[in-house]
Amino acid sequence: MFFDLNVPVHHPQHSSAQISKKSKGKQAQQPAEVTYSPAQVAAIEPRLDLLVHLGYTVVALNQTVQTAVIPKAHVNILENLVQQLKPRPGIVILKRLTIVLDQESEKGFGLTPANASIFKPYDLIALVPTTLSTLSLACLTHSQPSALTAHIIALPLTLRLDFRMKHTLVRTALKNGAVFEINYIGALGGENDTVLVEAGAAESGASAKRNWWATAKEVTRLTKGKGLIVSGGVVAEADLRAPRDVSNLITLLGLAQDAAHRASTSAPKSLVLRAQTRQTYRAVLSDPVLVIPEGTLPTPSVTSTPTISSSDTRSDKKRPREGEEGEGEIPQKGNSTGPENASRKKKRKKNAQEGR
Amino acid sequence: MVRFKNRWLLVEFIPTSNGSATQLDGYKIWEAVRQSVLNNFGDVGWGSIGLSINVKYYSPTTNICIIRVARDHHRIAWGAVTLLTAIEGTRYIPNVVHVSGTIKQTQLAAISHNREVIARFRAQAKTSSAYKDSYEEYLKTSAMEIEALHD
Repeated sequence: MFFDLNVPVHHPQHSSAQISKKSKGKQAQQPAEVTYSPAQVAAIEPRLDLLVHLGYTVVALNQTVQTAVIPKAHVNILENLVQQLKPRPGIVILKRLTIVLDQESEKGFGLTPANASIFKPYDLIALVPTTLSTLSLACLTHSQPSALTAHIIALPLTLRLDFRMKHTLVRTALKNGAVFEINYIGALGGENDTVLVEAGAAESGASAKRNWWATAKEVTRLTKGKGLIVSGGVVAEADLRAPRDVSNLITLLGLAQDAAHRASTSAPKSLVLRAQTRQTYRAVLSDPVLVIPEGTLPTPSVTSTPTISSSDTRSDKKRPREGEEGEGEIPQKGNSTGPENASRKKKRKKNAQEGR
Repeated sequence: MVRFKNRWLLVEFIPTSNGSATQLDGYKIWEAVRQSVLNNFGDVGWGSIGLSINVKYYSPTTNICIIRVARDHHRIAWGAVTLLTAIEGTRYIPNVVHVSGTIKQTQLAAISHNREVIARFRAQAKTSSAYKDSYEEYLKTSAMEIEALHD
């Protein structure tokens, strides 16, 4: 089960968007509905086909925004795109929003409760900090669990960072559940997402590859391989690589073999699960359901299961275990069967009682 | 016992739809890997694997290649293969299908990979299963060539 959580997708009218940027303000509003023409969808399909051929099962389409999210002008390009893509059984397609933070975003970039409705449809939110103050914003404030947590911190690896990354910031972010992302496109020297290049968060050239190795090694050293995920960030088809090849590449950064494997399998998996908590209140993964079996009296075990499940998931939030399938499953995969759930809940109740 | 250990990489070169794909052969692949090692890992990298790297087999029909490297620094060679972007001007995606320590496992993996690729070709061509096409012949000859590989 391999994850590629960064497949950049462009706004279909990207070139016209550039022109309208130059004359600020008085332009007509961009249309709220964005449709991709069949030709543009046909351009994206082969990339997904290749990803499937190489062995990726979970893919996240990525929309990148520069500096700040402006509520009035923001268009969710992924909603319609996902519906227009042909159905692929066994593949999960997620939606991700990336915000590139620069000097101007230090005052605020729209990730506030007031704009919560804009962020709700996205499964993942990522930040690309380019200065030390935005990095501390991303690590400290925005990794706190809430409906607007930015779970992914993707440092711009191809730039020469003029600031030193502090270990305490990284540690706090990891403790709160955020992950640091490494995009392997930088090592190949391939074409980067144009929005990133415009925002000055990515480069391709001789020095870009050297910066990639330096910064990626630094990130690996600081995270010690724990909260690390690897993704593509690949725009051109020819730069895609198979997941085991990518794992091997990460090993060359000084990461142990098992940590490298975790970075493309279990780390993104638990990240996606954790990101689901954004859709719930205060990281309680499931709405408590009162189940009264037919023909029996309402016993204490039944009425107390909601609180047990909430306290369990609270403590499990930071370390979601593989066994907690009943509550922690990705919704698309369907729920586990009734009897299994009931027996698991009973076991938890026993453990909770013994614990007290 | 100080035995010289190897790693056998089974690599599939997926051509991207970039116009004409020139016919590859073992030497061109070796040259491309050499350039990739020199560019990405320098003289140190090439020194570690240069004497032991060998392209043992290449099949143009299924784009499959078998490379043998010494075990100690095979990750450098593997990384260099991953970081390869183009051979002789045409862009390829190198996909390492299987890595093993013995030639036997590589042979088995190569034969089953060939069969999968031929099955895919046949499914695309939508011919009936009774139709005897040239792939049958290819499967036999390639299986013989692969079995004939030795250390």
